[in-house]
Amino acid sequence: MVFSFIVIPLLVAAFLPLIGKFSKKLIPDVLTNAALAYLVFNAVMLVKPLLAQGTILQNVNWFGEQVNLAVALDSFSLFMLFTISLVSLCITIFSVDYLEHYGHKANFYALLLVMIAGMNGLVLVPDLFSVYLFLEVAAVASYALVAFGLGYDELEASFKYLMLSVVASAFALLSITIIFGMTGSLSFQAVAQGLQDLQARYVIGVCIAFFIMGFGLKAALVPFHAWLPDAHPSAPAPISAMLSGLLIKVSGVYALFRIVYSVVGMTPVLTQVFLALGTVSMVVAALLALGQKDLKRMLAYSSISQVGYIVVGLALGTPLGLLGGLFHLFNHAVAKGLLFLNSGSVQHITGTRNLEELGGLDKRVPVTAGTNLVGALSIAGVPPLAGFWSKLIIIMALIQAKEFGYALVAILASILTLWYYLLMQRKAFFGPLNENLKQVKEAPFWMSAACVILALIAILVGVFFTPFVKTWISPAADVLARGIQHVLTWGI
Amino acid sequence: MSNLWFLYLFFSALLIFIGLYCLLTMRNLIRLFIAVEIISKGVSLAIVATGAVKNSVLLAQSLAITYIVVEVSLVATALALIINIYKKNKSLDVRLLSKLKG
Amino acid sequence: MVIQIVLLCGLVLFSGLAILLRDLIKAALSLAVASLFLGLIFFRLGAPYAGVFEISVVAGLITVLFALTIALTKKEDEVQENRLVKIIFPLFFILFLIIDGLVMKSLLTKVPALPATPEGESFGLVLWKQRTFDLVAQIGVIFAGVLAVLALFRKTGKDEDKDE
Repeated sequence: MVFSFIVIPLLVAAFLPLIGKFSKKLIPDVLTNAALAYLVFNAVMLVKPLLAQGTILQNVNWFGEQVNLAVALDSFSLFMLFTISLVSLCITIFSVDYLEHYGHKANFYALLLVMIAGMNGLVLVPDLFSVYLFLEVAAVASYALVAFGLGYDELEASFKYLMLSVVASAFALLSITIIFGMTGSLSFQAVAQGLQDLQARYVIGVCIAFFIMGFGLKAALVPFHAWLPDAHPSAPAPISAMLSGLLIKVSGVYALFRIVYSVVGMTPVLTQVFLALGTVSMVVAALLALGQKDLKRMLAYSSISQVGYIVVGLALGTPLGLLGGLFHLFNHAVAKGLLFLNSGSVQHITGTRNLEELGGLDKRVPVTAGTNLVGALSIAGVPPLAGFWSKLIIIMALIQAKEFGYALVAILASILTLWYYLLMQRKAFFGPLNENLKQVKEAPFWMSAACVILALIAILVGVFFTPFVKTWISPAADVLARGIQHVLTWGI
Repeated sequence: MSNLWFLYLFFSALLIFIGLYCLLTMRNLIRLFIAVEIISKGVSLAIVATGAVKNSVLLAQSLAITYIVVEVSLVATALALIINIYKKNKSLDVRLLSKLKG
Repeated sequence: MVIQIVLLCGLVLFSGLAILLRDLIKAALSLAVASLFLGLIFFRLGAPYAGVFEISVVAGLITVLFALTIALTKKEDEVQENRLVKIIFPLFFILFLIIDGLVMKSLLTKVPALPATPEGESFGLVLWKQRTFDLVAQIGVIFAGVLAVLALFRKTGKDEDKDE
């Protein structure tokens, strides 16, 4: 049942506040984790029928009447669903122990589940306005989650995030309105057909500009990135992992590229625009990450940089580029989730996030140090971990498309990434043991377990990447490539 | 008929400009949120006007109503945040919210 | 037609007033009056349900929420806005008015549009049959808002005067 991806999180979220009155810790934990485990299972089960059947369209009959609850599940959506469910499951496993800092677990889990339901809905609907609507669902939940600790930093960061995000959503909706005014319909198929008949070049350019302003802010592309280095470090660690690993990609990158590929159409001009934006993101964020003292702030800037990579990969439009972009999306979700969860572990263990105050933790907490090393190396692109393959594919795609300048910049940015990650690893984990940290113990069980699971995924996907790419990512890339074929026939 | 569309879009753009100007220059937190409300008015005017011009005003109404519901949720969350900020800061000045450097 | 333009000008006027007025309560009330105008515009455009919703929710509920927040955050010395900003505002406004008019005029024939197809159903059918997924999403948004307010106003047990 494809609908269960949206309905189950919402139902569990509806009942959690009630349950939270009776059982503060046990039942919310079990219920949330069970729901997410079921979603992961469901996502895996849907692969076979999808490959056999093509796009699955499901319509629901409500008490016998034909209502329009239609979802369209194609390989791109299924890939995103799988990523969302997998990383969310590990995050909720982590939260079992981490939320002792904050209390009120039922509330937290309920908001988290609403956010997951919003993201799942965004991925599944074939309709422009519904994409916007589910984006808002996830966004409202995220504003409250960033401010969950009610500390001064968190409230300030959440307020700035809210203000910027609302303006961005308004611009995206304005663009949707203009498209509605031109074609008179909102579903992807009808709009694509209508735009094909209309051949409106100038106005589509304006619409795409508004979309880039709107969804680009959600994806934290430079120059719309200003909210991210404040919001992600201040949020509680599982929420940072959720935002950085999933939300900026689903509500930013996925929405933007779904609309560009399935509705409007990728043109060479647009490719150049995205390449430029992506490359600027890569370089500027990597440079800014070098000088950071706060562990989570460095990771936040790294997120901006890696999203630049994903955008560059997806913008190319060639099958190899799409493959690389999507693979990097998955790898970054897993690895960045792992790194942020680890930063939560470090904060739990030592009480600080400042890199100057940490040092030599690998002697006391080997599990955390080991998983952190795996995550950092994966993003930096060291073989045989998964990140190496995805970055390699992106660079190869750039060379294949004869964009040699951009390929060179991508390689240089990769070296910068390696540099600051090794810097972080050395300052926090290797090196001499800091005086104040002589007494620290290993992180609690569930926190370590979640980190170990994510690290194992990064290693396994890196080693066995061929079957993984064939099952999950090639079909998704094909869907996007087909969109280009379909639309390029009428070339703007 | 499309002349009418541009008339409404003209006013809608005007409203969005007023909202953006206020957002960039004002200092009081609540006034910043009034600016967001004005932007929302501009957008919902655009939605309904587009529907009216395309003769599908019923569809546009549903969109506008849904958008208003989303807006209410946003206002509730934002005002809850503002009240919490006031409790910490004892002031509604946005210049005090500059502890985190972007 | 003339009435529409008068209503639209009223809407823009009261929105501008909502920014320029110094007292916050008066600004919120000005916003409510602007919502009233917008509701009337919706009525005349043939969207009565949107008009009712706009007036009852935005001019009613949101104004009440604003009044509640203003009451909870009242202090003796208000936040002083920059005087210069308020004086410059009409200048920018008229500048933008001119730019906007020119842009819209030049776009007048350039935006292609498919011919409008007539609608046959009633509003209820459109809302419930065509946009059913939006209703699910609305439930989600309302959940998110309620849970957000609950989460932000919970008792944390921390000392209230503790400095961060």
